[in-house]
Amino acid sequence: MPVTFLQQSLLWGLLAVSIPIIIHLLNRRRFRTVQWAAMDFLLKATRESRGKKKLKYIIILTLRALAIAALIFAIARPLVGGFLGWGGSQVDTVILVLDRSPSMEQLTNDGDTSKRLAAIKSVQQSLERLNNPKLVLIDSASASAQAIPSPDALTELSATSATDTKALIPALVSTAIDYISDNSTGRTEIWLASDLQKSDWSPDDGRWDAVRAGLIDSPQQATLRIISMASTATDNVAVRVVSATRANNELSLEIEIITSDPNRTSAVPLTYSLNGSRSSESVSFEGQRYKYRKNLPLGDKQGEGYGFVAIPTDSNPRDNVSFFAYGEHTAATTYLISEGGEPSRWLKLACAPPGLNNDRCKSLSMDQADQIDWINATLIIWQAPLPSDKTANKLNEYLENGGAALFLPPRGESDTSFLGVEWQNLETSAQGQYFIIEDWNQSDGPLRDGDDGISIPASKLKAIKRRNINGDYTTLASWSDQQPFLIRQVVGDGTAIFATSLPDYMWSNLADADVLLPVVQRMIRLGDLRFSSVFSAVAGGFETQLADGEIRSRIDEYSDSKSSNAAYEAGVWKFGERLLATNRPASEDEWLTLETDNMKALLNGTQYSLFEDAGKTDSLVKEIWKALLIAMLVFLITEALLCLQPRKSKIKVRT
Amino acid sequence: MKYDFLDSEALARLGAMPLEARQAMTGNVAGRHRSPHRGSSVEFAEYRKYVQGDDTRRLDWKAYARSDRYYIKEFEADTNLRAYFVLDASASMGFSADDDSRIQFARKLAATLSYLIIDQGDAAGLSICQEKIHLEIPPTRKPAQLNNIFDVLAKTEPSGETGLIEALHTIAEKTNQRALIIIMSDLFCDTKDLADALQHLRYRKHDIAIFHMLDQQELKFDFERPHRFIDMEDQTSLVAEPILIAEDYRKAMQDFLSGVKSACHDVHADYHLITTDQDYEKIIHDFLSTRLPKKGRK
Repeated sequence: MPVTFLQQSLLWGLLAVSIPIIIHLLNRRRFRTVQWAAMDFLLKATRESRGKKKLKYIIILTLRALAIAALIFAIARPLVGGFLGWGGSQVDTVILVLDRSPSMEQLTNDGDTSKRLAAIKSVQQSLERLNNPKLVLIDSASASAQAIPSPDALTELSATSATDTKALIPALVSTAIDYISDNSTGRTEIWLASDLQKSDWSPDDGRWDAVRAGLIDSPQQATLRIISMASTATDNVAVRVVSATRANNELSLEIEIITSDPNRTSAVPLTYSLNGSRSSESVSFEGQRYKYRKNLPLGDKQGEGYGFVAIPTDSNPRDNVSFFAYGEHTAATTYLISEGGEPSRWLKLACAPPGLNNDRCKSLSMDQADQIDWINATLIIWQAPLPSDKTANKLNEYLENGGAALFLPPRGESDTSFLGVEWQNLETSAQGQYFIIEDWNQSDGPLRDGDDGISIPASKLKAIKRRNINGDYTTLASWSDQQPFLIRQVVGDGTAIFATSLPDYMWSNLADADVLLPVVQRMIRLGDLRFSSVFSAVAGGFETQLADGEIRSRIDEYSDSKSSNAAYEAGVWKFGERLLATNRPASEDEWLTLETDNMKALLNGTQYSLFEDAGKTDSLVKEIWKALLIAMLVFLITEALLCLQPRKSKIKVRT
Repeated sequence: MKYDFLDSEALARLGAMPLEARQAMTGNVAGRHRSPHRGSSVEFAEYRKYVQGDDTRRLDWKAYARSDRYYIKEFEADTNLRAYFVLDASASMGFSADDDSRIQFARKLAATLSYLIIDQGDAAGLSICQEKIHLEIPPTRKPAQLNNIFDVLAKTEPSGETGLIEALHTIAEKTNQRALIIIMSDLFCDTKDLADALQHLRYRKHDIAIFHMLDQQELKFDFERPHRFIDMEDQTSLVAEPILIAEDYRKAMQDFLSGVKSACHDVHADYHLITTDQDYEKIIHDFLSTRLPKKGRK
């Protein structure tokens, strides 16, 4: 276990360990000479004493040296705990990056304290032992840095309280690095308190490269210390309303129950609240995830409504409720950015088939991309050179917040990249031959089998032209030569799908609708989930930002909320006239933990340390000077006992 | 007085006490000690039948009158005592912590005892043994013998290794007549060899008295600081922490003393373990007292 010292300079005193040895050597040189007659007995005694007595004397000397060493160590105020490691005591500034995501509300082993509070308490005690260096807090909800006057204030601040927002760790660490660059922080350490939830850490996030570079190049040699709260619960149950759809006089809720115990057999009691009326039932299921549909009667109530689905409090109270709101069905709006021509016509038709849900498709050229209503867009179809600059940022933000986008290749060459991928040169099949879909994912993605088990006839697709893709992605369907036809990139809460051919008779028969229609419609449904019309949002998302003149007020009766923290809490809210149910991100219910190898890869080359005992101990570091003083006493007492002369009566020469 | 190891007052005090032999002696003149032979003392010994050639003057006519048989009446013979002082003069006898050295103490004992012996008409001799017998004064009864003994004692200085064992064997061989062998030594030699030498003396029917002379410091071994111990006999040295080895040293010393006592007990030697801080007059007094015959005997 690494040890560090608050007074490292006093460790020079360890040289004093040699004092007993020096005294011993000097004493040996200061002997008195005597003439002796009974030499034979002396020689015999020396021979017999050589082994055990010499050992005893060595032990005595060692004990004396150890006693001095223990005293010096005690004076140097040692701290133990894997957290600091060697030399970690001289810290001018500590930047605390606090994960406030719902998964951090999991109770620790004591059953009374959440991981978040346990981490805060550990940090408080550790800072106190480090003589209270300057403290800067970057919380996962606001992602902004603020100086904290005293560690004691950490538990009182709204900026450290529980939220239902996502924690995007790479972004938070980047903020910390930026803070170090912009401020004179001296020797700085970044303390990252997190439960290592994989979705929060986003190992695929492109910002990790910048984080690595920032940590390595930091002029202050910033050290990243990770306070891991990664213990997994065995009895946690979470509930989520996936969608709330009004159909005639009923509200159809798609509900998902997730349990951490794969062998759970007992039923989960659920409470449904709809416009203040409550009902309950118990749901039994097998496995760790169970999705079902629940229809609640609306009666004659018209217009908007809201409610929640809740389960009893368990080891993580933050994932025991999911809110929903609904209103009149709003038609989906798809924005088609295209180069025009035949693909544009077919795509527009696939987006808004006549007579289906009154869905709309707005066709724009690439120059008109700034006309996209990012908030209300259900799906973005991008059949043009990949976006760059401002448009790319907007599109990225849209995807991060749960949007859906379908990318199709441009006719001409394109040298821009987006989300780390770029179109390759046009490829044409050999004369008289086609590119044929041979393998596609039938359980996931837009080409998955239907609920009735019928497969999408993707094998009918034939192409003579295509553009392959460079970059990292997940392949959902591939041509017979293993080149991708359909790929997916998950960006935050959103999804981007890339198809490598066009619905153009010069390219392929994609326009035959066997493939194009289900892909586009499923993408619309995917994009629609972002809203569950316009009534749901992720807590802390851009939908929850107040527009001019709006006032936020919570209207559900599940619980109260702190006004200072309201922007980051789940609930049903009124934003002026807007009704919005906010919930924790779906990724928070994926209890996958970042693996150590993943972390090593992410932070390769940086100075980082992982403290995995957090939550089990009160402090990340402990002072052990008392233990050392006790050890010194033990050493001295043992030494004294060993030095005691044997009783003279024991062996006395009888005359 | 000429010799500093003689104390006239102590001699006067001790003069009243005789030195008795514990067994019959074979002297060459009449004396105060029992002889294994029949003689003309007043002490009746036994009757025996008359055999031809016996002096008729020794016939017991009263017994003849009673029994009508010829009996010769025999009496004990009294003779003088021959005492040999065997003084170990090896270098180790020069050891002294605070009091007299062993050799000084031995001089006092030997000088006083030889004075008492010659004063009571017995013969005294002296053997000084170092690596081999260095000097030997045969026992005589003459008063002038005292001067010889005192001179040798005064001149004797401890040196070299001990030759006690060889000296005892030599004395056992050379001394034909029974004698009192008084050994004064630290007995720092092999215990088994010592036992053999004593057995040799005993075999030659000598009465053995041993003054085993040690120093209190040799017994207690209570040094505190590290010491360099230099062997007085061969000058080899040893640096030791007395604290560490004291226990084993005392145990070795105890074993040595037990071995010596056992060897002395086997030959019925008159063993006296003495330390140089004791009063030599008391030691001699005790020595003489313990040798006095038991009540009922002369």
